[in-house]
Amino acid sequence: MDNQHERSTSEDFGKREYSASYAFSQMADACIACAGCTASCPVTNADGEYVGPKLIGPAQHRFAFAEEDLEKTLKYCTNCKTCDRTCSAGVKVSTINMLTRGKYYDSHPHKVRDMMLSNHSLASHVFRSIPFGSKIANFTLKIARYCGILNMLGVTRNRKLPSYSADSFVDMLLDLDQTPKNKKVVLFQGCFIEHNAPKVGMAFVKVMEANGYEVLRDEKFVCCGSPLVSAGYIEKAWENSVINAKRILYWQRKKIPVVACCTSCSLMLKEEAGELFDDELLFQAGTNVYDAFEFLKKLKQNGELVSPSKKSEETLLYHVPCHLLSQGIGTPAKEILENEGGSKVKVLNTGCCGMAGSYGFQSETAKISLKIGEDLFNRINEEPEASVISDCATCRMQIEYGAKRKTLHPIEILADLYEKKEENPST
Amino acid sequence: MKTIVIGSGLAGLMAAYISKKRGDDVTLLASGAGTLAQNSGCIDILAYTKDKTPVTSPREAIESLPETHPYKKIGIKNIEAATKEFLSLVSSYGLPYCGDLDGVIKVSTPIGTLKSTSYVPYSMNGAALFDAKKIVIVDVERLKDFYGDILRDNLTKHLPQGIELENITIDLSINGARDVSTIDAAKRVDLKEGFDKLVEELRPHAKEGVVFLLPQILGLRGDKAYKALIEVLKTPVVETTCLPSSVNGMRLVRIFCRAFSDIGINYVENTRVIRGVIDKSRVEAVVAKAMARNVKYEGDKFILATGGFLGGGITLESFNNARESIFRLPVWMPEGEKNWSNEKLFGSCPQGFATAGIMTDNALRPVDRHKSVIYENLFVIGRNLGGYDLFFEHSGNGVALASAYHAAVQSVK
Ligand SMILES: Cc1cc2nc3c(=O)[nH]c(=O)nc-3n(C[C@H](O)[C@H](O)[C@H](O)COP(=O)(O)OP(=O)(O)OC[C@H]3O[C@@H](n4cnc5c(N)ncnc54)[C@H](O)[C@@H]3O)c2cc1C
Ligand code: SF4
Ligand code: SF4
Repeated sequence: MDNQHERSTSEDFGKREYSASYAFSQMADACIACAGCTASCPVTNADGEYVGPKLIGPAQHRFAFAEEDLEKTLKYCTNCKTCDRTCSAGVKVSTINMLTRGKYYDSHPHKVRDMMLSNHSLASHVFRSIPFGSKIANFTLKIARYCGILNMLGVTRNRKLPSYSADSFVDMLLDLDQTPKNKKVVLFQGCFIEHNAPKVGMAFVKVMEANGYEVLRDEKFVCCGSPLVSAGYIEKAWENSVINAKRILYWQRKKIPVVACCTSCSLMLKEEAGELFDDELLFQAGTNVYDAFEFLKKLKQNGELVSPSKKSEETLLYHVPCHLLSQGIGTPAKEILENEGGSKVKVLNTGCCGMAGSYGFQSETAKISLKIGEDLFNRINEEPEASVISDCATCRMQIEYGAKRKTLHPIEILADLYEKKEENPST
Repeated sequence: MKTIVIGSGLAGLMAAYISKKRGDDVTLLASGAGTLAQNSGCIDILAYTKDKTPVTSPREAIESLPETHPYKKIGIKNIEAATKEFLSLVSSYGLPYCGDLDGVIKVSTPIGTLKSTSYVPYSMNGAALFDAKKIVIVDVERLKDFYGDILRDNLTKHLPQGIELENITIDLSINGARDVSTIDAAKRVDLKEGFDKLVEELRPHAKEGVVFLLPQILGLRGDKAYKALIEVLKTPVVETTCLPSSVNGMRLVRIFCRAFSDIGINYVENTRVIRGVIDKSRVEAVVAKAMARNVKYEGDKFILATGGFLGGGITLESFNNARESIFRLPVWMPEGEKNWSNEKLFGSCPQGFATAGIMTDNALRPVDRHKSVIYENLFVIGRNLGGYDLFFEHSGNGVALASAYHAAVQSVK
């Protein structure tokens, strides 16, 4: 029965026609040319080459400049969406940018590097399917970095690529014996938790368990598409969005919400996909998706949240990822960690970290990436005693590199405050 | 007390700040960035009276405003207290302002017209221009929105005779291919190399009696670059105002960002408040649009800083029929079509249209046609208010600050 429904749903997903999309051209026409977006764009502020969102987005869309020139400057856009958040006319400049970039790559070849950096899950599946794969992968990356191979491919030599975890999240979750419960959520684990930082996923499972929830996984989920969009693989991103949306709608019918710990994943699943591909069903799927702390806040509001047994008096410096700010829900992690965990959380308000997925790894943009993050790094290093948190894996990487400070996902802090689950006496 | 502020223009930011400092639990809801980065960050209190006479003492001029003007409802004592709060905020975050309510300050625009205002950062105070023997007008290579030659011509008309004016163009070695904005130049000056280059270019011209007049490029980090520059050059330096987006507006944005981080305001960006949840004469909550779903925010007190017609807080449903967008509050309009607009947009009396807005009692709570309060825990501030024409009388940021303070200090039952 489910299969049947799935088929009819997949037929309902319209064919992508982004360049002709009505919403897309309407959006550009709403621009009143106030230049507010350009004044706030982190890349424009860090670099003299980028012409900035006003000219590259709405204006270019109206006047259609020469394609070649366009990509020269458009490649600098990180899709951080600061422009969208600034604009009071509601223009989604970043979406225009990403669609234009995708269109450019319809007729231009990609670099090998783009494939490597944006198809994270593909690469890691290959590595993990062989014995000691993660070790080999990490070793190969190291060698490649030292030999300058990565450099030749267009990956900066100065930065270490994220290392692969020995066990994937799915393996760890399978090893963990969760007691079946009536209350369930599905975790959309995303590539980074799946392959590089399963401990974040495990922290989420611990918190949910303590709150009487069973965490399900769905092996049919694929990469949310966010890195693909940034790298110009728009067709592939659309395919992924449809696959994920079908699964999310399936869970919605079962009244089980889908929760993501990565804020770029939740943004893509909630609204970005719908915005890019102008499809109502994608938006509908989005209504069943929650950011992890947004979900916990909902539990709290319903009086269902179990307070952790331990309290922490720690001061936490919180870098809020751009892709969480865009969701319009504020900082639920701050509210939960302060009110439930006893921590003092300082939201940093220093703007984009500059990492933007693979942007910080590409030779052309690595320097800009670090320059964007300067205010954030300096702010963090004003308080050397405090701990640093951020919900986004690439933000954490950037802070660890730029400010030389260990950075955790807020769910890891919260998970530590719950007692370990009681051993099941029967095992 | 749980206070919800809606809108992040200067009015909303200031209301959130003062409310939090007074101990409220504050949530600020906002869509879009507001006009702060757009406006010059000069605090205009009142520059013109109704018949376009230039004001010399805002304190006195406020006395003779009509009773319907927001300043009259707020009262001079509160206006003064509001400006004190603002002055202490900006100076504690490294951008001290000068000014008072008893005189006016002249600032130079990038085209050399002189504008009266009340509070500005020290770097923008134009007083030194009047005492100069010689003014060196400093243009920056590739800088857009600064017009050295026009500036010089206009300035000659407005300044006392006998002041020598000279134009120079300096090179700050700013990388990149595009035109340079004042923000780019300011960022450059924030870096040591940029600052040193600026000093190197100006030093040969720094002589006794010289005053430098620069575009607004002295950094985004408070008055750091300004103080360092006058220290090494030992001559007065004056910044002009700036076309949008303004460097000084961005300095203020940074100050608010830092202050909010320090005092802990719950700032929800990218969310549009769509309606209120009402219980008789009280607002219980507001509902805001977030991604994928709506979110309800309950509160004891609500401050509406949504920017009037220009900010989207008030929408025109049909000619002569406007409504406030969230609570559907009535909007007061000057009677009759002929008041709607004067033939000349920048004429010599206030625009009927521009004075349209929400009418309130003295505590800034919205009232209906019979002057009875509609919601006892809702306060209206900034450009939402009716009864004043900010563009004609030059009072935008002044009313924003004063009303924000007045609303923030009101208690609710
Ligand atoms: C170009 C320009 C230059 C200016 N220069 C000066 C100057 O030099 N000196 C001076 O004194 N004054 C100046 N002003 C006037 C001054 O900017 C404003 O009058 C003053 O800052 C008050 O603004 P506000 O906070 O009331 O509204 P705004 O700054 O318009 O802010 C309104 C905010 O509310 C948000 N909003 C609206 N509806 C909703 C909703 N439903 N939900 C959530 N958020 C919402 C908007 O997105 C916006 O962030 C200038 C104005 C402009 C336009
Ligand atoms: S996109 Fe929005 S913020 Fe940018 S110039 Fe246009 S109206 Fe202004
Ligand atoms: S998405 Fe970010 S980098 Fe791209 S134009 Fe907008 S603000 Fe600039």
